[in-house]
Amino acid sequence: MISLPEPTAAGPVSAPPEPLALLRMEGVEYFYGGRIRVLGPVDLEVREGEFLSFVGPSGCGKSTLLRIAAGLLRPTAGEVWLGDEPLRGVNRRAAVVFQSFALFPWMTVVDNVAVGLEARGLGARERLKRAEKYIGLVGLSGYERAYPRELSRGMKQLVGVARALALEPELLCLDEPFSALDVLSARNIRDLVLDLWASPEVTTKTILLVTHSIEEAVEMSDRVLVFKANPGRIAETVHLSSLARPRRADLPGVRETVDRMYGLLV
Amino acid sequence: MPTQRPRSYPVDLGLLTVLALVVLAVLFGSTYLRPYDSPELDPRAALLPVYLLRSLARMTVAYGVAVLLALGVGHLAASSPVARRVILPTLDVLQSVPILGFFPAAVAVFVGLFGPSALGVEAAAVFLIFTSMFWNLAFGVYGSLITLPEELALAATHLGLRGSLRWSRLVLPAVFPNLVYNSILSWANGWYFLIASEIIAAGQARYTLPGLGSYLGQALVTGQTAHTVTALATLFLATLGLHLLVWGPLERWAERFQLGETGERPRTPRIGRLLARSRLVRWFSRELVIPAGQRAISAGGWLMAVPGRAGRPLAVLVVGALVALGVDAASRAYALFTARPLSADARDIPAGLVLSFMRVSAGVLLAVAASVPLAFAASRLGSHGRAIALTVLQILGSFPATAFFPLIALAMTRFGVDMNVGAVLMILTGTFLYVMFNALSGAMAIPEEMDEAATVLGVRGTRYLRHVFVPAVLPRLVTGCITAWGGGWNALILAEYVIAGGTLYRVRGIGATLDHATYVTRDAQVIVLSLAAMVALVVLVNRVFWEPLYERVAERYKMDA
Repeated sequence: MISLPEPTAAGPVSAPPEPLALLRMEGVEYFYGGRIRVLGPVDLEVREGEFLSFVGPSGCGKSTLLRIAAGLLRPTAGEVWLGDEPLRGVNRRAAVVFQSFALFPWMTVVDNVAVGLEARGLGARERLKRAEKYIGLVGLSGYERAYPRELSRGMKQLVGVARALALEPELLCLDEPFSALDVLSARNIRDLVLDLWASPEVTTKTILLVTHSIEEAVEMSDRVLVFKANPGRIAETVHLSSLARPRRADLPGVRETVDRMYGLLV
Repeated sequence: MPTQRPRSYPVDLGLLTVLALVVLAVLFGSTYLRPYDSPELDPRAALLPVYLLRSLARMTVAYGVAVLLALGVGHLAASSPVARRVILPTLDVLQSVPILGFFPAAVAVFVGLFGPSALGVEAAAVFLIFTSMFWNLAFGVYGSLITLPEELALAATHLGLRGSLRWSRLVLPAVFPNLVYNSILSWANGWYFLIASEIIAAGQARYTLPGLGSYLGQALVTGQTAHTVTALATLFLATLGLHLLVWGPLERWAERFQLGETGERPRTPRIGRLLARSRLVRWFSRELVIPAGQRAISAGGWLMAVPGRAGRPLAVLVVGALVALGVDAASRAYALFTARPLSADARDIPAGLVLSFMRVSAGVLLAVAASVPLAFAASRLGSHGRAIALTVLQILGSFPATAFFPLIALAMTRFGVDMNVGAVLMILTGTFLYVMFNALSGAMAIPEEMDEAATVLGVRGTRYLRHVFVPAVLPRLVTGCITAWGGGWNALILAEYVIAGGTLYRVRGIGATLDHATYVTRDAQVIVLSLAAMVALVVLVNRVFWEPLYERVAERYKMDA
């Protein structure tokens, strides 16, 4: 039932039939300040419709890799492909949810969600309509005119999720989105993200999650890439698509998977 | 005024640029200025509102130019490492350089450009006011942009905010609170130098522009007490009005632009809440100030995006022009100093420099000695008291203290005190407020929990002062000292050479040497040498003393244990 590789094996094992790759990285390396190797070389594929997670200790370059995928960092070496086109500049097919929320404190909730749409040239009415739709989907209706500082941390991250989804991206990048939240909010937003992922209302079907929590990765992902540090690299690939959803830490199968992945990390 | 101190670089481009400017400005200036004496102002008090409006107009134009340039330069320095290496040291040097020494030269340049017409002299005055407003604005912009949270900037990039949209949605809001805070200081500085900017004396040329500063200056020189008092009252009302109607509402509005998660207490001072409750202030704020602020942010976003498109060619042009200026300055300087041997005045520069150094140092030390206990006392007043103390300081800071230098000189002779004491006292007017502002804002930034911990632990009185208060304010105190050190040299130029009641009161020092050469002998050698010596000393002391000190203090006493 669980297609978990033996701890000694490296690389993809017993991959299911391959869907199309939405994003592909070839030999991607990143050097901090041009000299210190932070990452790589890394090869990977993000497949259409999958929920992919990067797990690893801090300093393993998993967030760096996410930023490279989003086009916010340029790799020192290697190439990122979107289909058969190389990625140049910001990845307009991706949206990012940040760990620190990165909301503009001087804008209301609705403006925070709509500002990215304005940059993409949408008209005022269309922006408002779309922003309100996604604010509703994350359950923040009624808070449109509130300022971020008036919201709890959990609500702020909901705004972050709405802002990203409103771009209607093909790829949703979540950069440790639950690390700055209390346990309960994190739990709620995790469930919400999974619901939205399954919902027909949301067109975004490919999700990339960076996390240091194995439980989180196991609960949410189809596939987990386990990273090691110094320099950052992919140590293991774990396929979980056969693990039934919804997954709860106390369900049989989930517990064992988590335990075995701890084994992989240590 | 917690500005971001830039780090120094081995090749000090800033120093070289400024020295080149010194040579050029002086030489260019001495070629163009012709003897000129503008008519006296009509002393009728009924004309004061007109004079006030003209001064305000001049200051507003200067301020507008200063803000736009500060945004461009500060943003460039924050976003381009290459530009940063040139911009920061240059700003740093220019900020700490005694700008008053350049006034005659600057006037000459503008009058040379536009002729001794109203336009030329007005442009010169606006430029002079600009120089008193610009530096801290530029550092303020730079400081807020480099402390902008990384993820926020990334989010903006990711959302596709570029050009004018990025300026109006990210950059301008992010710098806004700091810009407002620094604008208050800039305006205070502008008022401080108003007299010097509106009555411009250079060699045999003397230009008087109708304005509040020149009116006050004239009243003081001619000894008309009634006119002096009315002018001062007008000045007081003007600064108070600006605080109540413009800066107060802007500061309160700027709170929404504060970064930080919850409504963090802004570190900018607030005017007493009592005054803010007045209906007139609220109406003014709601109907005029906030809409104007909103419009400024969107218009500014559009405006600031324009040079972005021409960035690279513009930078090449500026660098090329600077190199050409440098070469020109070097050749002119060579010609100047090979033409004839140095005069006696020029040979007296080293000794004068040492004496002036001691005076400015005394001015800074006295300012510290006065500020620490005063800031401590103010910090015990509670939030209301502190806000009032800060407002009083801001208004005091707006007073053109240089206007009173003749009075100080006369008082010194009346009481038989050595003129050196008088000079130090005058320098103190240029140093005290910087130190005091910073000490007070440092005191206000002491976290409440630290105070509570001190109370619980029974740390009180002098023990509190020694173990809590002084360490807590030390980083900002040093920042204040660095700014005061520059301000002190500025005041020095006026303090060492005072004309009062038709008599010249001078002490031996580099400021007096410079003034004598500027107003009397017009000796270009002495002007260039004394300005260069002063610039070099100010920069040297910054590099070997203030910057290392600041780094040590900031490292040891920063508030994030």
